[in-house]
Amino acid sequence: MNMIDLKAWYIAKKNVKEKLKNYGTMFWTVAFPIMMLIVYKLAFTEDGTTMINGLTVFDVEFPGIVVYTIGISTVSSAVMFSMSKKDGTLEFIDSMPVSRGNVFLGAVISEAIFMNLQLILLFGFGYGVLGAHFELAMMPIGYLIAMIYGVASIGLGLIIASFLNSPEGANGIAMLTHMSLMFVSGSFFPLDNGSVFFTPQYWVKQVYLQLTVIGDSFSDLMYSGTIITPTSEATFFPIWGGILMILAFTAAFIILGVKIFQKKTTL
Amino acid sequence: MNESILEEAKVIYSDPNQFNENKHSNEFIIEVQDLKKSFNGIKAVDGISLKVRKGELFSLLGPNGAGKSTTIRMLTTVLKPTNGDARIKDHSLIKEKDKIKPLIGVCPQENVVFEALTAEDNVEFVGRMHGMDPADIKRRTKTLLEKMNIAGRKKPAKSFSGGMKRRLSLVMSLIHLPQILFLDEPSAGLDPQARRLVWDFIKNLKKTGMTIILTTHDMIEADVLSDHIAIMDHGKIIASGTLEELKRSSHNGNILEFSFSSKEELIQAKRKLKQIDKVKKITEMENNKLIISFTGGVKTFKREILREIEMFKTLHFREDSLEDIFLKLTGRGLRD
Repeated sequence: MNMIDLKAWYIAKKNVKEKLKNYGTMFWTVAFPIMMLIVYKLAFTEDGTTMINGLTVFDVEFPGIVVYTIGISTVSSAVMFSMSKKDGTLEFIDSMPVSRGNVFLGAVISEAIFMNLQLILLFGFGYGVLGAHFELAMMPIGYLIAMIYGVASIGLGLIIASFLNSPEGANGIAMLTHMSLMFVSGSFFPLDNGSVFFTPQYWVKQVYLQLTVIGDSFSDLMYSGTIITPTSEATFFPIWGGILMILAFTAAFIILGVKIFQKKTTL
Repeated sequence: MNESILEEAKVIYSDPNQFNENKHSNEFIIEVQDLKKSFNGIKAVDGISLKVRKGELFSLLGPNGAGKSTTIRMLTTVLKPTNGDARIKDHSLIKEKDKIKPLIGVCPQENVVFEALTAEDNVEFVGRMHGMDPADIKRRTKTLLEKMNIAGRKKPAKSFSGGMKRRLSLVMSLIHLPQILFLDEPSAGLDPQARRLVWDFIKNLKKTGMTIILTTHDMIEADVLSDHIAIMDHGKIIASGTLEELKRSSHNGNILEFSFSSKEELIQAKRKLKQIDKVKKITEMENNKLIISFTGGVKTFKREILREIEMFKTLHFREDSLEDIFLKLTGRGLRD
């Protein structure tokens, strides 16, 4: 892979323009998470049930919606890359003086633009309109964790796109993967099972939850806090260990994604 | 082509000391040596060698599956050869891909356009990928799109007809004014009017001194546009030269096309034709048609033929064409 330069930005610009005109993608990335938030709010607030520190179920489940929303990048990157294989645009770009590094970075930038848009909408609606609880000082950390997880999702999408030439197939498999991981990780509904530890979603949701919803002191939580399960049982994993797991999943997905995609598409 | 672009292209492509419209130089800009490509053991390109002069329009002519597009994909750096190498402007295809990419423009066989973007956005993107200045992109985009009759359309390319996408694809391959332009079936799927527009455009590009490599299975297109033609079949180049050279080397004599109403009529006529000394070769085609090459004058032969054969549908005399050359070399038509 050659030098990465300003061309990545132009690729990102092109990707954003394409994505904005794809109404199906826009629905799943923006409208669906908002709908889920409303459903959660209606379902979990009225009974007055509280969990940790007087938080409602809605407060505790809000990070799950963040995980779902950002994880949709798995679907959009799988569709984008498989489409570029099918319609010949990847090969066309390969014939130009542009490195694959620029192509991948362009995809990450464009997805990151959407992830920011999604998070702003989600935070604005969830925290601002629906009143989910959050610790303001810890919010930037939550935002950063969500963005890192977004990069992992792009990597996972890239792995899926490597094996599928049809965008329709990539869309189906990526959505199936994303939704399965959402359930297995206990991000939608609490799941008391060891399988949760093998999903990046679990670590993202729990670290996000403990730092930005429950916690009020970053250093205390980092050094003395432990990760809890979706059913609020303490585990022996420290919170910094959870952050390391998120970084490890992200590195693994993006490296594997790039390597496999390169291998499968370099003719 | 707009005069300003033509002048701009002339400055870019021509050596001021040697520039001469419609004349190509003796310098070889592409030299291909024993290029091979196999897919799962199947040979798509089987050891081709060729040389292309600077400023020349070089056509690869052959039926579908002959290996033309695979050759183009290798020369445009997107497909790695199984064996062999090519030098493009003295850069090795294998070792110096990155030096070749800025020199070339590619119009692939399928219409490769970004469907959600407008024509302007598509062209701008390609210009940006070639590191062009935004002002140059804007100016050239306007001129080229106007020339191709697709200017001013604000709708996404997905709303374009196949012909419009083809013309847009051509503009995208040209925006950076490449030194070598690869056109893979440039007029495929175009209506006669658009095809003429594209041909005229390519003819004008030739005048700028741009080297053009074109693949086609359309013998008329190859005939109208080419300086040099290489005929490909089963992954090999089976003949190469200028149109005149090809005709001379495989001269069939004059050609008579005979069509019959039934298979019985055809068989009967074939038997009689075999007895005529002037008949050099008889080739049976689809739809009860015979193609006969013969020596001597047309008038005498026609008289003789009409004396022998009474039952037929149509009779047509013509000169040797590329299709006949291909037929002679391979024993089948370009569209078979």
